[in-house]
Amino acid sequence: MEEHCALRTMGEGARVLLIYINVCSWWAGYSWPMRAPSLFTPPPHMTDAMRRARRHMLARTGLAWLVMMQVMMLAFPGYLRHSARAPDAQLALEQAIVLMNWLSLILCVPLILYCAWPVWRGAWHDLSRQRIGMDVPVALGILAAFVPSVVATWRDVGEVYFDSVSMFVAFLLTARFLETCARQAVSGQPHGARDAELLRSADRLAFWFVCIQILLAILVGLYWWNVQPDQALAVTVALLVMSCPCAMSMSVPAALAARQAVRLRTGAGDGGDPAVLDRAMRRVAHQNLYGSLAWHLLMVPLAACGWVQPWLAAITMLLSSLAVAANAWRLARPAAGGTAGRQSAAQPV
Amino acid sequence: MDALFLLLPISLLFVLGIGVAFWWAIFSGQFDDTRDAAVAILDDDDRTHAK
Repeated sequence: MEEHCALRTMGEGARVLLIYINVCSWWAGYSWPMRAPSLFTPPPHMTDAMRRARRHMLARTGLAWLVMMQVMMLAFPGYLRHSARAPDAQLALEQAIVLMNWLSLILCVPLILYCAWPVWRGAWHDLSRQRIGMDVPVALGILAAFVPSVVATWRDVGEVYFDSVSMFVAFLLTARFLETCARQAVSGQPHGARDAELLRSADRLAFWFVCIQILLAILVGLYWWNVQPDQALAVTVALLVMSCPCAMSMSVPAALAARQAVRLRTGAGDGGDPAVLDRAMRRVAHQNLYGSLAWHLLMVPLAACGWVQPWLAAITMLLSSLAVAANAWRLARPAAGGTAGRQSAAQPV
Repeated sequence: MDALFLLLPISLLFVLGIGVAFWWAIFSGQFDDTRDAAVAILDDDDRTHAK
């Protein structure tokens, strides 16, 4: 009604657009005007602490990606080192590699000190309580790749793994950021006993997985050290990178967040049968958990044989985390596929 | 080869600049709520202009 004056001065196209927008926002409901809430939307009433945690995670993740892109570019000449070329070209390449290694080192220092700070804090927190958590293998993996690279840069002999370190930290923080968002999305909700039990069982599984993986990484590393010492470091780092159960630790929170998104969209209480939604949520959580476990178990023998480079291990880790997020999103997807999606689509919005 | 001594520090400066700008954008709250900011124009109260 109040738009009448404005509408008179507008063209026909703009009028149609405005009416369309009004109809859309009315149809979608006032509280969520244009889009359905996604899995990772911030909860409506965020506390200051939550907002601060989210901002810090985002800053760490974004800066890690920035450093990662630079370091990957700088690492490229190192991969050309072993192909044949004229002696003077080889000399120029070696000089360029030294320069680029130093620049990678400079870029990696803030990555290690600032971006990876939650890892150090978590690992220290775990170790000071004589526990083994998810951060311990991650911290070991970062140190095992970073310290030898610094030594190699300083002495100007041997391989550097700055690209693997930065990729690992960036991908790890991406998974953690998604996990933080998923946990925050369901934070205001009271968890039922069954949800808490699901979370606990996932944590238990991740704990045993991590213990076995660290042991395996040490044993395989020792074996390679005896057989082929120049490969031992790369294999150990790859195994430690893969022992990070990022995908497992976000599998249940992501499923819970997906259920929360469905509930928000369909309105509290009247969105289909809650039991059906609960069953779908548990199915997705189990798929996430055991799927990521199977993926890890599949990759570990390949890494132990030395076929998986550390950077490839970091990419497989990111893939499994993204697969978990995508699988959870399938549950929350509006109006298409998935039991819960069909269920909620059948309800009037 | 000599050009690298100039270009690499310049690229480092660019990375620093981008990092600082990103940091500032995050902590001034620009990424806090991308959804509500996008639809805020639809909730605009324009009654005073429609007299």
